[in-house]
Amino acid sequence: MDSIDTLLVLIPGLPLAAAITVGLLGARVLKERSHYPVIIALFGSFICSLLLLGEVRKEGESVDDGFEHVVTLWNWADVSNAYELTDTAAADVGSHDFHIDVTLRADALTAIMLSMVTFISSLVAIFAAGYMHGDRGYWRFFAYIGLFVFSMTMLVSVSNFILLFVFWEAVGVCSYLLIGFWYEKPEAAAAGKKAFLVNRVGDFGFALALFLIWTNYGTLNFHDTLPNGSTDPNLIAQVAATPPSEEAAEHAKPAVIRGVLGRLRIATNDYKHGNIALAICLLLLLGACGKSAQFPLHVWLPDAMEGPTPVSALIHAATMVTAGVYMVTRCTPLFMASPEAQLTVACVGGFTALLAGLIALTQYDLKRVLAYSTVSQLGYMFLALGTGTVVGITAGMFHLFTHAFFKALLFLGAGSVMHAMGDVIDMRRFGGLRKLMPTTHATFMIGCLALAGFPLLSGFFSKDSIVAAVEERVHALEHEHERRAAHPVNGAVANDAQDRSAEVEHAGVFALWTPDQLDTFARVYKWLFYSAMFTALLTTFYTFRAFYLTFYGEEVIPHEAGHHAHESPRMMTVPLVVLAVCAAVVGGALDQTWIGPARTHQFGELLLQTPSLANGPAAAAHDAFKFHGKIAGISGAIALGAILLATYLYLGHRREIELIRSLMDFEGFSRWLDVDSVSRWQKARWIAAIHRGATAIGLGWLTALLGNIVLMIAIVLSTPFLLGHFVSPYKLSLRKFFIDELYNFVIVLPLRVFAATCYLVDRWIVDGLVNLLGKLPLLFGNLMRSLQMGLVQFYALAMVLGVVVLLVAKAVLAG
Amino acid sequence: MYVDLDTIKLLWPELVLVLLATWIYIGGTIQQGRWWWGLFALAAYGVSGHAVAVGIVEANTVSGPLTPDSLGYVVRFTAIVLGALFTLVLTASARKELASETIATLMLLICGVMLVGRANDLVFLFVSLELVSIPTYVLLYLGRRDRATSEATVKYFFLSVLSSAVLLYGLTMLYGVAGTTTLVGPGSIQSELQSLSVDAGGLGSLTPVALVLIIAGLGFKMAAVPFHFYAPDVYQGATNANAGLLAVVPKVAGVIALIRVAVIAMPNVAEFAWHVTLVLALVTMTIGNVCALWQQNLRRLMAYSSIAHAGYMLIGVAVAMAMEASGGISGTLFYLLVYAFGSLGMFAALASLGSDEQEVSRLEQLSGLARSRPFVAGAIAVCMFSLAGIPPLAGFWGKFTLFTGAVRVATDSGGQATSVWFAVLAVGGAINAAIAAVYYLRVVAVMYFQPSREANFGTNVGARVVMLFAAVLVVALGIFPRSIFNATEHAESSALREKVAAQTIQRLEAIATSQQVP
Repeated sequence: MDSIDTLLVLIPGLPLAAAITVGLLGARVLKERSHYPVIIALFGSFICSLLLLGEVRKEGESVDDGFEHVVTLWNWADVSNAYELTDTAAADVGSHDFHIDVTLRADALTAIMLSMVTFISSLVAIFAAGYMHGDRGYWRFFAYIGLFVFSMTMLVSVSNFILLFVFWEAVGVCSYLLIGFWYEKPEAAAAGKKAFLVNRVGDFGFALALFLIWTNYGTLNFHDTLPNGSTDPNLIAQVAATPPSEEAAEHAKPAVIRGVLGRLRIATNDYKHGNIALAICLLLLLGACGKSAQFPLHVWLPDAMEGPTPVSALIHAATMVTAGVYMVTRCTPLFMASPEAQLTVACVGGFTALLAGLIALTQYDLKRVLAYSTVSQLGYMFLALGTGTVVGITAGMFHLFTHAFFKALLFLGAGSVMHAMGDVIDMRRFGGLRKLMPTTHATFMIGCLALAGFPLLSGFFSKDSIVAAVEERVHALEHEHERRAAHPVNGAVANDAQDRSAEVEHAGVFALWTPDQLDTFARVYKWLFYSAMFTALLTTFYTFRAFYLTFYGEEVIPHEAGHHAHESPRMMTVPLVVLAVCAAVVGGALDQTWIGPARTHQFGELLLQTPSLANGPAAAAHDAFKFHGKIAGISGAIALGAILLATYLYLGHRREIELIRSLMDFEGFSRWLDVDSVSRWQKARWIAAIHRGATAIGLGWLTALLGNIVLMIAIVLSTPFLLGHFVSPYKLSLRKFFIDELYNFVIVLPLRVFAATCYLVDRWIVDGLVNLLGKLPLLFGNLMRSLQMGLVQFYALAMVLGVVVLLVAKAVLAG
Repeated sequence: MYVDLDTIKLLWPELVLVLLATWIYIGGTIQQGRWWWGLFALAAYGVSGHAVAVGIVEANTVSGPLTPDSLGYVVRFTAIVLGALFTLVLTASARKELASETIATLMLLICGVMLVGRANDLVFLFVSLELVSIPTYVLLYLGRRDRATSEATVKYFFLSVLSSAVLLYGLTMLYGVAGTTTLVGPGSIQSELQSLSVDAGGLGSLTPVALVLIIAGLGFKMAAVPFHFYAPDVYQGATNANAGLLAVVPKVAGVIALIRVAVIAMPNVAEFAWHVTLVLALVTMTIGNVCALWQQNLRRLMAYSSIAHAGYMLIGVAVAMAMEASGGISGTLFYLLVYAFGSLGMFAALASLGSDEQEVSRLEQLSGLARSRPFVAGAIAVCMFSLAGIPPLAGFWGKFTLFTGAVRVATDSGGQATSVWFAVLAVGGAINAAIAAVYYLRVVAVMYFQPSREANFGTNVGARVVMLFAAVLVVALGIFPRSIFNATEHAESSALREKVAAQTIQRLEAIATSQQVP
């Protein structure tokens, strides 16, 4: 156990130490060597994480109900009876001492996240040492990176909602600092600000969720504690087993403070249900949406690409943006209490995946395509979490894990391209780079194949398991619905023992559900399933579109590239190769169910050693992990098909794609309904002839009337098409569905007008009044000053008069 | 009243000062020289201070005209420290042939303040106050011989005499009502007045008149409105060192006398007394501050500042009058100390800049001082910030305790009207603090943000030392105010002990009589 304590402290401690070292010494001493402390620390952290993972795995196998170990470092806040809770479950009464310990936890979920974060960040740091070479803020960059990794590792290893929030904000700050790293660029500064502000919306929701959790559960700790702060599981079990004495009950302080995600609470499934649970979960989801860039708070992530590319790879693709997914996974027991919230999670995820996929189709900025792809993939993860089954949650976390590798790879590849192209990132301005940059090309291709879900690469397994989880969910819901239809009395009367046992088995999950609910949920999940399939198609297509535009076709090199137009140095290509290998094999290696039924889903088994997933309602609904051949076949076919389509459209002449583009843009469409062209008809020879003939026989008014009617129809019809001209499918996608414009118009503009009004009111009215008020003492002083005339007689008189006034006042008051 | 050997023993520190002052007067005619006599005077203060320290006995005996409470000790130590500091300033700035007279006169003045601090008798108190006043006239005249000084001295003399007369009239009336001259103790004015109603006609109804006259007489010493008119003219006419003396020492005497007589010894007019004091406090600080806004002459500015601070001190006095043991006396004492050192630092800094040819008196003469004399500018800035009440300097704690006292009365006192009055007082005090910041910060701004000008500033070493001492003390008291708070709180409880004891006896008697009735 002691080794776990040490490791838990070392993992965030090393990056922090490196950040402080670089921050203090970077500017003057280290300079161009600033990356050494950070890279060494991150690599050390990674080794520690692996050791921790091994320890956790070893300990977890020896117990049934998951393994967790909590380290208390020091007490941060200790307020007795901070809040008087009136309406609380009896067991929680009195636990409202506001007691915040700085605690770290080790369990499977944390260990997995830690390993992933430290591994990716080590590689990105090595890459960045090459990429950022010669930048003015070299040491600053590495200090921020160290600080970020510290915050991120703390975020995933703290065992308390308050600290989670603290580090949630800390990674936000690091992200802000790194997006605006080149703050001389106005776009970078604006993007940093935008990211920060959009995240505030989510954080606001998160903070409200924490308040609700505090008022409802009386504690913010994940784990169970004794009132003296001890977290020793044996001791807790002992105390929990002893029935409370009369005296203790009188005392009204519980013997054990049951953590929100603690064993004791999960074991009894003592969670709030109904609207409270829904509110908590939706507010948590709002927080997750902000950090993980889900609709409607996804707008900051594409702009965040203004930051240095290693930052995009590390923070905005692999690690920080997955904090929302981590948080929802961590809070699984809370979400289990509210199926509606889970459905909302799934819908938000599914919709975001689709929306971002559509937008990614038409973007020309390579990093933006990848950014929307990230948003889309995060949507997949939320969709998986939203299924609310262990299989789904495992699939979501598995996708998080594999996605980190291939998305980091793709971003670093894009960085390598940018490095060679002199920071040009518009795909229209370069092309055919495969001969110029062979390593980048090869590794980028592996990343694209993995993202596209090409069979047997890592994305294939994780994405399939998500789709399969949704399908299973639909299946389970439909099955239950049919079963109830077969037993009209709501399944209450069971005929034989087999039915009875089936009843019990199902009761745990669907006991409280009404048939209508089952039906609705099943239908929504089914649509999400189709949407996810379609999004898979989009994913593959836009990925390969970007790939072909960049590496194939005619070789084009922008003039900014100068003498840089060559393969990147070894410092940058080595991380690419390592990540490419990981992206290729990590999925198949950790989910071995595809080899045969005898093999296990190793990632899933490990993740399920997390206590909050191993016990309680989540575990009750757990089916064995299995490989879905049908789904795999379909999605493999989709991936291959989309790759072939993209190959056909983008290799060779790009005539067809131009045609599709103009079709999607309604090009030439509107001409037919142009009012001007209709009004020109009357000048056309044969119409004019008819009109002249009709006028000759005195029916000129009739043709004129007909002409006007046609013109009216044309005008009426042209309006929607005019609109269509501006919002054709192509334009919608290119302009990101006008969401930024919508936000500008609905939120930013009114706020600006309001702010300007406030400023004017403050400047002219309030300031004016205040200044006037400030003048009053001066005026009064001037008045009084005139009494000071220098005559000693007057002074004496004033003294005597003063006495007289006081005496008269006394007389008047007394009388 | 009687005088015996014990009384002489108790008076030993003051006697030392008087004897040595006489020695300086006589010796000065034989041996001129400023530093020789200056060091002699410092030694005398040392001896006297030692005697005070040795003489601290926690005896509960009120020996004739003297009271041994710790309020007296606080005042005496303060007076000795102020005396030593002013000796340093005056020694360096006085003309050589007049140095010994100046120093000796200052010693008598300080002796007067020490006696006021422990007076328990009307006659003794009055004589002590005169021992403060008369040397002041001489000192003012010794400072400089020109028309302005003469005019200022004469003005001060006439008005001071008038105020003494008014005060004496009040004291007489008090004696007439109570039939005794002892302030506190068995058979004293306090216990006599305790049972005397103000409104029932007869002798008791004269106490408010006595109170008004006493406040008027002591208000002159404190420079409270409407007895303040002399201050700007006299300060302007005096030298910087003398103006500092005038701003600090008579104010200490006046406040202590007011506490001794009006707060402690006159319980039956407390209701009327706090009304008067409260109104005077509001008017005094407002007029002081708003008039200071217009001043360009530094001594005039400081005169109005001194008036405004008298207003703040009256807040504490009003609080002490309205509510027993409310921290009013302690707050006033603390404020008095803070004000004394802040003001002393400012005047010492001005004195240190003056030379024989030219005296610093106008604000623009300080422009750019931060570059030419950074230490002096820093010390002035510290004193200004402290007087403005900006944390973490001592002035902040002074205002903080006073306003807290007013708020405490506003919240804890039973009466609705009382609450409103004291709430208004606290708010008025806060608004005035804001107004005051304008002119204090203007001084700082002139020193730090305006171009420096050529000026041949003097180098008055004594004043420089005093200035630095005061500035360091202001900072130190701001950071560690607790020790002084302890002393002033002890002084308050000790001064009120007699009063509380007397009231307890009365209450017991009342209980006894009520039990006898059925």
